[in-house]
Amino acid sequence: MSILEMHHIVKKFGSFYALNDVSLSVEEGEAVAVIGSSGSGKSTLLRCVNHLETVTSGQILIDGEQLVGMEGERPCYAKDADLRRICTKTGMVFQHFNLFPHMTCLENITVSPLKILRQDKTEVLETARGLLELVGLSNKAESYPAQLSGGQKQRIAIARALALHPKIMLFDEPTSALDPEITNEVINVILKLAREKTTMLIVTHDMRFARECASKVVYMDEGKIVEEGRPEEIFDRPKSDRLQEFLTSIYR
Amino acid sequence: MNIDYILALMPAVGRGTVVTLQIFFCTLIFALPLGLPFALGSISKIPPLRWISKFYIWVFRGTPLMLQLFFMFYALPLLSGGLIRMERFPTAVVTFVLNYAAYFAEIYRAGIESIDRGQYEAAKSLGFSPWQTMRIVIIPQTIKRILPPVANESITLVKDTALVYTIGLTELLMVAKDSMNRDVDVSGYIIVALVYLALTALLTFVARKIERRFSRHERESV
Repeated sequence: MSILEMHHIVKKFGSFYALNDVSLSVEEGEAVAVIGSSGSGKSTLLRCVNHLETVTSGQILIDGEQLVGMEGERPCYAKDADLRRICTKTGMVFQHFNLFPHMTCLENITVSPLKILRQDKTEVLETARGLLELVGLSNKAESYPAQLSGGQKQRIAIARALALHPKIMLFDEPTSALDPEITNEVINVILKLAREKTTMLIVTHDMRFARECASKVVYMDEGKIVEEGRPEEIFDRPKSDRLQEFLTSIYR
Repeated sequence: MNIDYILALMPAVGRGTVVTLQIFFCTLIFALPLGLPFALGSISKIPPLRWISKFYIWVFRGTPLMLQLFFMFYALPLLSGGLIRMERFPTAVVTFVLNYAAYFAEIYRAGIESIDRGQYEAAKSLGFSPWQTMRIVIIPQTIKRILPPVANESITLVKDTALVYTIGLTELLMVAKDSMNRDVDVSGYIIVALVYLALTALLTFVARKIERRFSRHERESV
C-alpha cells in the first residue's frame, strides 16, 4: 500500500519551475532516497509533502488521505485542522535540527503529543523514554539542546519526529550540517529505522548513505525525476547521461 | 548647601518620588502587556490589523511625548466638547501607557522576528497551529531576548516621568525647580539627581537579576 503518493507536482517560484511535473510514490516499509545536485528540487519536493511549501498544482495523498488535490486549475488543500492532522502523519527531520532551545530534550520529544495531540501522559512519556533509548541518548533527557553536540541534536530531532508515530519519516539532508566524523552516529540511527522497515523519504547529498539505507533511489535534476531504481541500478548502472555525469562529478 | 535646608526639603522630595514611582509602575503594568497585541498586529497576515498597529506605533513613536501630554490634557477636552476630560494624574498615566506600549510593541516585534524560521517550520511539522506556535515556541524564546531592551526602555521611563510637570503634576523634578526658584539654592537639583540615579541603579540591578534568572533556566535541568 502506498503511504505517500505525489501526482504531477508542479512548484513554481515566480516563473522558475522548482518542480516540473514530478510523480512519486512511497510504499509501506520502503526507504526512498532522493539525490541530485543543489537546486534540483529535491528539498522542495520533500517540503511539499508536509505543507512547508504549497504546490502550484498536483495531488498529494498521505496514508490514503488527500492533502492537496486539483479543483479545476487550482490546487485545493484540506481544511486547516485536517491539514494539520494529515501533516502529523509525517515526521520531519531538518538539516539544521530546529530543536526548541528553551525545552529539554524530553520536552522537545513530548511537547507535540502532550500539548497538541493531547495524548495520554503516561504513554507519551513511555514512548519518549523508548525513543531516547533507540537514539542512544537516555542520559540526555533533561539536557537542553545547547548542551548537545550536532550529532546528538539530530538524534533528538529524529526521536521528536518519531514521537508522533508517523506513517512516513521525512529527512531533509539530515547529515549535511554535521562534521564528517559524526555523521555516522546519525546514519546508524536511520539505518536502524530502515532495518525496522520504517517508511522513509530521505533527501541527501551523501551517496554512501543513500546506497546503504535506501531500497529505492530517485535522481532529480532541474525539477524533474530523471531516473529511479534500486540503489545498485542507480549507482552501478546509471542509464541517463545526466546521472552518469552527476555521479562522476561526485566521486571524482 | 546646608544640612538643615536639605532636611527641610526632604518631605517634598519624598512626595515627588512617590508621584514619579506611581507613574512609573502604572505605565509598566499596562504598557508591557498592551505592547503585545500591537506587536502581533504589526506582523499579522491580516492587512487591516497590520495597518492599524503600524499606524498606532508610527503616531506614538513619531511625536514628542510632551506633545502627547499637551494633547491629552488640553486639546482632547476641547476637541471632544468636554466629553473626555481627565484629572492630571490619569491623563499622565494614560498618555505614558499609550506611548510606551508603542515602544514595547516595536521591541517585541523585533524579538519575535529574530527567532529563526526553522522554529516555525519545526512547530508546523509537529502539528502546531499558528497561535500554538506563538504561545509555546516563539514567545517563550522571545522573552529572554527582549529583556535587555525592555530594561533599557524602563530606565528611560523613569526619567521621562519628569515631563508630567508640563501638565502641572508635582513630581520629583518639579520639587527641585520650585526650591531653586523659591530659595535660590541648587541643593534641590543635586538631591533630585541623586534620587533619579538611585532609582535607575535599583532598576538596573533588578533587570540584571531577571535576565540572569531567565538564562539560568535555560542552562539548568528542570
